[in-house]
Amino acid sequence: MARGYKYFEAVEKHAGLLGVGIAIMVSLGGLAEITPLFMRAHQVEAPAGVKPYDPLRLAGKDIYVREGCYLCHTQMIRALRAETERYGHYSVAEESVYDRPHQWGSKRTGPDLARVGGKYSDAWQRMHLLDPRKVVPVSNMPAYSWLEHETIDADDIMARMRTLRRLGEPYSDAEIAEAPKALEGKTALDALVAYLQGLGTSLPANGTSEASDGGAAP
Amino acid sequence: MSTFWSVWIMFLVVLNMGITFFLFIWGQRVKIPVQPDGTSGHVWAHGVLRESVRKLPLWWVVLSASMFVAGAVYLVLFPGFGANKGLLGWTAHGELAKARQANLGKLDELVHGFRLYPVEQLAADPAATRIGHRLFVDNCAACHGREGHGNQLLGAPNLVDGDWLYGGDGKAITTSILEGRHGAMPPFGPTFGEDGVANLANYVLSLSGAPHDAAKAAAGQPNFAGVCAACHGAEGKGNQALGAPNLTDAIWLHGGDLATIEETIRHGRNGQMPAWRERLGEDNARMIAAWIYAQANAKDLPAH
Repeated sequence: MARGYKYFEAVEKHAGLLGVGIAIMVSLGGLAEITPLFMRAHQVEAPAGVKPYDPLRLAGKDIYVREGCYLCHTQMIRALRAETERYGHYSVAEESVYDRPHQWGSKRTGPDLARVGGKYSDAWQRMHLLDPRKVVPVSNMPAYSWLEHETIDADDIMARMRTLRRLGEPYSDAEIAEAPKALEGKTALDALVAYLQGLGTSLPANGTSEASDGGAAP
Repeated sequence: MSTFWSVWIMFLVVLNMGITFFLFIWGQRVKIPVQPDGTSGHVWAHGVLRESVRKLPLWWVVLSASMFVAGAVYLVLFPGFGANKGLLGWTAHGELAKARQANLGKLDELVHGFRLYPVEQLAADPAATRIGHRLFVDNCAACHGREGHGNQLLGAPNLVDGDWLYGGDGKAITTSILEGRHGAMPPFGPTFGEDGVANLANYVLSLSGAPHDAAKAAAGQPNFAGVCAACHGAEGKGNQALGAPNLTDAIWLHGGDLATIEETIRHGRNGQMPAWRERLGEDNARMIAAWIYAQANAKDLPAH
């Protein structure tokens, strides 16, 4: 029997063994590429200007997630000229510290929304959400007409704020206690518009600015 | 990156490439016992297919070897081996800055020339208006429509009809783009009551000679003179300093039928055009203004 042939033969004849070997080799790559960034994600701190969502925007963010907006819209401007020219400064990790889960997305049927805040008026956002075709005739975005008639449950939002505080968001007792006042008479539409109008406004929107790289590279 | 994670990555890279390289070498050297019939003895399909023993083809060996070389060269030149930045000093952000610089270089000559002329003159330069229209479609069309015809449902003005809320010279248009506009009309429903609103609406219709109820219009006139004239002027011709629309023409921001005018008086209007200075910058805003100016004054411009 030639040198080492028995190992060779074992791998060749047992698909399971080959599979385990492949899994080990592939996971080496994952351990090298993913683990350091994963550990770093827990150390990312909010820069000045990035604040936890106020009650109305928090409600809006959860509606954004509920309606599946992330399926068609990303919130991730990549460091490519074509993107920064169109959408503004590329996204940095620090901007999403209060997003649980983050809404970076991976599929653009509609445009990126990372810096849509302030781009259009509130009136435009409302009309566009209720019936996109009224402002963009060729739009294929669905109409979210029910948002107008849905009220926000303050107790629910307060519970969410308490939960987020347990996860580390710096909400004060006073901020949580004032939530019902901020949410009084607000509809899901108000909340979603408030959320959208806040997106990406903590960094200068101008893609031509030479802002810091935000330490996004490992 | 901390030293620990740097060493962690280096260790895994060496381990991964080391194991692969060992398999590459060993796989070629291992002696496969040859059966008397010249095969390895492996059979498939009940002996119909038998596996012979051959050396690995040269092209495969060379290609695989070159992959190791490519991997090593990559790790020397580019970031990837722990905290090592690579000899080229390449970063994604550096690449972006370079791409932007290259693009600005291409644009610079053109844009530099544009800065020398007022918007009114740029409007006659197809190079400026072509870029301006492209930027308009990308940024402004969501409210004003692709060709600038506006949107009455939203209260976004038509920009090509020659009628201006804040002035139609190049400077006023550029200012509207860069700083935004806020056209606020307070609600007058509570002040005038339902009858008062209806009377006023008929008076407003009469200003532009639209069909109206003359008796109601006459009843509304005193209120218009006393209240509305403060912004819209005694004759209803508007005031560009305030962005108060001219009510005597057939052009309507939100709609010119009786019901819409009543609605406007009853609840007021709150038109908001965002400021674009941060997003677009002055050069881009001027090119957009040039395109708008060219559309609005199409008949006065030299043909090109």
